[in-house]
Amino acid sequence: MSSEEGAAVAPYIPVTTSSVLMSANKHFAHFCRAQNKAFLDCKRADPNPEKCLHKGLDVTSCTLSVLKELHEKCPKEMDAYAKCMDYYGNEFKLCRKQQQEFENACPLKA
Amino acid sequence: MTELLIRRRKGMTSVKEMPVLQDGPPPGGFPAVRYARRIPNSGPGGVAIFLVASAVVSYGLYQVGQGNGKRRAYKQEKFEARKAILPFIQAEEDARFVREKQKYLEEEARIMANVPGWKVGESVYHTKKWRPPAARRIYADYQ
Repeated sequence: MSSEEGAAVAPYIPVTTSSVLMSANKHFAHFCRAQNKAFLDCKRADPNPEKCLHKGLDVTSCTLSVLKELHEKCPKEMDAYAKCMDYYGNEFKLCRKQQQEFENACPLKA
Repeated sequence: MTELLIRRRKGMTSVKEMPVLQDGPPPGGFPAVRYARRIPNSGPGGVAIFLVASAVVSYGLYQVGQGNGKRRAYKQEKFEARKAILPFIQAEEDARFVREKQKYLEEEARIMANVPGWKVGESVYHTKKWRPPAARRIYADYQ
């Protein structure tokens, strides 16, 4: 990119395809545990969609923030892993190499 | 006539003196044909065969168990991933559903504006519990 003189870069909007979500599932389980649990408890109590909209918004924003953070920290490994998952239909055992590289680059304790 | 050419001998005076030409056994006769059974009693006994077969089967079943463990681990991994993702997908679908329901209710209000005593969005059921929509009309954004 050559235009550095004050040109606004568009903010990154995560693409939530199934391969991307499945690639980052451990990070969602770790970082968004509270929001997920709260939302699921709300749904179990009352399945009505209108009643759990606020908790659903928490879940969505947490997920998207996790994806944004992963894009900042390890974009290449994340994209490689998501591409492999996309190619192999979300089979974990066929993408072990990319999974290892991704988890080394963006560990869960970060 | 060809018989004469084949079986003719010197000093013959009539065809009755031609020597007999037959397809027959070689001199000394044919060698004897063996037809007696010869099933040897050597080789592994029944116990040995049974033990070897049991060993092979046991090894195979052990490998089956190992494979089942591995497959269970793969399934666990897949299900854990789905559990982690499920709330996000459900939340997105809930938001989409509520948006579409708003549009649907507005449409219903517009259509039934002149009908007296019509309650827009009234549930067709008596129960107060949440029921998914009966008429399957809340899919406007798939058209």
